[in-house]
Amino acid sequence: MAFLEIKDLKVHFPIKGGIFGRTVDHIKAVDGVSLAVEKGMTYGLVGESGSGKTTTGRAVLGLNKVTDGKIIYNGRDITSLRGSKLDYRKDIQMIFQDPYSSLNPKKRVLDIVSEPLKNYEKLSRQEIKKRVQELLELVGLSPESIVKYPHQFSGGQRQRIGVARAIALKPKIIIADEPVSALDVSVQAQVLNFMQDIQSELDLTYIFISHDLGVIKHMCDHIGIMYRGRYVEEGTTEAIFNDPQHIYTKRLVAAIPDINPRNREKQLHFRQEVETEYEQSYNDYFDEDGLAFQLQTISDKHSVALPERS
Amino acid sequence: MEVNNMEMEAKTQESSQSPSGLIILWREIVRDKLALVSLIFLVLITTFVYGIALFLDQSEIIKVDLFAIHEPPSKEFWLGTDYGGRDVFGQLIIGTRNSLSIGILVTLMTGVIAIVFGLVAGYFGGAVDNILMRILDFFMVLPFLMIVIVFVSIVPKYSILSFSLIMTAFLWMGKARLFRAKALQESELDYVQAARTLGTPSIKIMFTHVFPNIYSIIIVAMTLALANNIGLESGLSFLGFGFPESTPSLGTLMSYARNPQTLEYRWWIWLPAAILILLIMLSIRNVGEALKRATDARQRRG
Amino acid sequence: MWKFTVRRMLIMIPQLILLSLLIFIMAQMMPGDALTGLIDPSVDPETIEQQREKLGLNEPWHVQYADWVSGAVQGDFGQSFRFKMPVTDLMMERMINTFWLSLVTLIITYIISIPLGITSGRYNDTWADQAITSYTYIGFATPLFIFALVMLWIFGFYFGWFPTGGSVKPGLEPGTFEYILSRFNHLLLPAISMSLIATVSTVQYLRNDIIDTKQKDFIITARSKGAPESRVYNRHILRNSLLPIAAFFGYELTGLIGGTVFVETIFSYPGMGQLFIESITLRDYSVVTATTLLFGVAAVLGTLISDIILSIVDPRIRIK
Repeated sequence: MAFLEIKDLKVHFPIKGGIFGRTVDHIKAVDGVSLAVEKGMTYGLVGESGSGKTTTGRAVLGLNKVTDGKIIYNGRDITSLRGSKLDYRKDIQMIFQDPYSSLNPKKRVLDIVSEPLKNYEKLSRQEIKKRVQELLELVGLSPESIVKYPHQFSGGQRQRIGVARAIALKPKIIIADEPVSALDVSVQAQVLNFMQDIQSELDLTYIFISHDLGVIKHMCDHIGIMYRGRYVEEGTTEAIFNDPQHIYTKRLVAAIPDINPRNREKQLHFRQEVETEYEQSYNDYFDEDGLAFQLQTISDKHSVALPERS
Repeated sequence: MEVNNMEMEAKTQESSQSPSGLIILWREIVRDKLALVSLIFLVLITTFVYGIALFLDQSEIIKVDLFAIHEPPSKEFWLGTDYGGRDVFGQLIIGTRNSLSIGILVTLMTGVIAIVFGLVAGYFGGAVDNILMRILDFFMVLPFLMIVIVFVSIVPKYSILSFSLIMTAFLWMGKARLFRAKALQESELDYVQAARTLGTPSIKIMFTHVFPNIYSIIIVAMTLALANNIGLESGLSFLGFGFPESTPSLGTLMSYARNPQTLEYRWWIWLPAAILILLIMLSIRNVGEALKRATDARQRRG
Repeated sequence: MWKFTVRRMLIMIPQLILLSLLIFIMAQMMPGDALTGLIDPSVDPETIEQQREKLGLNEPWHVQYADWVSGAVQGDFGQSFRFKMPVTDLMMERMINTFWLSLVTLIITYIISIPLGITSGRYNDTWADQAITSYTYIGFATPLFIFALVMLWIFGFYFGWFPTGGSVKPGLEPGTFEYILSRFNHLLLPAISMSLIATVSTVQYLRNDIIDTKQKDFIITARSKGAPESRVYNRHILRNSLLPIAAFFGYELTGLIGGTVFVETIFSYPGMGQLFIESITLRDYSVVTATTLLFGVAAVLGTLISDIILSIVDPRIRIK
């Protein structure tokens, strides 16, 4: 039994239309996604914008309503728990993409980081202050920062405040939604490495959402590649990067820039090859609506969405 | 990427001002000479009328004196007397106080309704928002003036309190709509989502997260509404459906001008009240407009 | 577009039902009922009871409501106890007076506000703009009734340029040129007073819209292609800014309703607003109910018309 398991998750948003504003259709943001994450591992969700990766993450947190499917955390079905049964929330936290809008500009760092503590733990003021200072130290900020406001920090520092807030309750799982894409490239690596440090220190499980394959390769043990709400390929990082099966994945992997300028010619050639293959074999990999097929297991570490016949 | 960075920078600048919202509001007023003068005028007149009114005997002022009907201004009656021989100057002072009081009361009451309504509709969105907005739309299309007048004339045991309650019942919509739009905008930001994942209850998110971030807009809207409410009260009293004559207000003084004789020949009864209403409303607006600029970074002078 | 129009009209139906219910409830709260206007109090109680039964006043409220609504739809609002005549007849003449007053007010409002708004927007931050802005600023803070009173005091009484009350000079033959002239003369000052206050929001809207449009990319493109300034304004900017103004007239109508109550009272102009105030003072409640309902329906329709025109002019509104 995996630590966190998502079974055939569907999140559909209604499209209202007509004279009476009835629901005329649905946007299938997530349409049948299944995944399993082991404790202490990092699972990467990759896809272009609109592919449903963020919606999947938010559904786990209960921020988006699940249309169908199950989310099982630690053996417990948490799909549609409400009210007082939301205690699992403590264990699953989120790091947001935009470090600017995810911190309330009117609150001091002390209030921001202590918010979860106040919600779940009965602590005195002194204890709270001490805990916040410890947390800030853990994320590499000075304990004096507690009286400052978010705008007094840089983007990278703000993201650290966001992390401090997310780990305040000692969660088991953290959903990181593009945690570095709003940051300057120079700071990205810093924050990523720091996230890895924290992971081993607190034995965290990450669900890492990103469109940046380089970042995903660096962070994740397992990867799921999404396209228009469905999985196109899923497997260990190694399997995906060394042996991509689906044409969509191949194209993504081919697009990763190579630092070595001598390979430029070779890369360009390779990319053109993949592009031609993509154009020619598009219909073999996607159904008539342009959606991916069901996943087929090709090894115990690797599944690909291919039509039944193959 | 370039654009993204610029956006980020703009956001940082904006938010770097926001924690000290009240200070910005104050700074903007001081920079704007007209607003500053208006504010000083308002403070002076408020302390003056509330102060003096403590020493004035209202029952003495509204007592009918048949030997002093329609006196023009003199040493004894600085602004003359009305048709009941009552001192206009005294009525003006007590009237200003009453008008200000009811203006403030109605503004606060409508403000509270609008804040709760706006926060709930904007924060929850969806079906809740839809239903609340339909209710609001209905109140919006009512012919305000007539409905209020009808209620004023049919309500049993009519009093100042019931008058302000009636006004409140039909005056909260504009602000509620504004606050809802702002709350909706704010609720879509990640920090509100974050608060939800952190287990903060909705009520607390509304009042401790969303509210502080739309606070300055609320202050501006309430200031401008205060001016309007004072105008509305005087208008209703002018028509005879506001304050009773026994409780003078700026509007009751104006209502004497409905008599053509008074309008034409006895300016001292109604003109001072008219000027005072204008000055008070203009001053409040001046302050309000300065505050409005302060909440919009592009227009800020300071 | 049709979808929006139909949807908007469907929203109106519950609005009208709620409005009529509210007014019906208010009418129930008013002392006295339809009988009060019909018979004199000396009649013995038994006869009154019989009359009540006959008029349906002992029916449950929803039957009474249905009766009242179906009457109102057919133009039957009962009897005025004060004037001893059907409310509908009483309102007819008043309605015509108010219609003319509103029409002239609207025309004057547009005549004043469009040139002022265009000048202010096109030449923003010049002395002319500053003068116009000051006018709108003060206009916003001035209650209509004070302004109307001062206008009456100065131009009606002090200078004597305008009549100070009524809708026509007595003794003139209806239909003659003099009669029409006199009527126009009587409604001019109230109309001007109302327009000068009503105009400020339009002026301000137009100014802001023009200033906004001026900086839009398509205007800059038109200029950079060498289009002369007058062409830029006439072809591009005004087309964008004036259309919404035209659509506002329904909202203006809603604003006028409150305005007529004040202005007709102040100028003793025999219109619906004055009738409303008069009958509420005289406790002639069947008239009060009828006028309130009519004004309410007018407000609902005004908003409806503006919403629909606006949705044609500005497609963005339809999305909601």
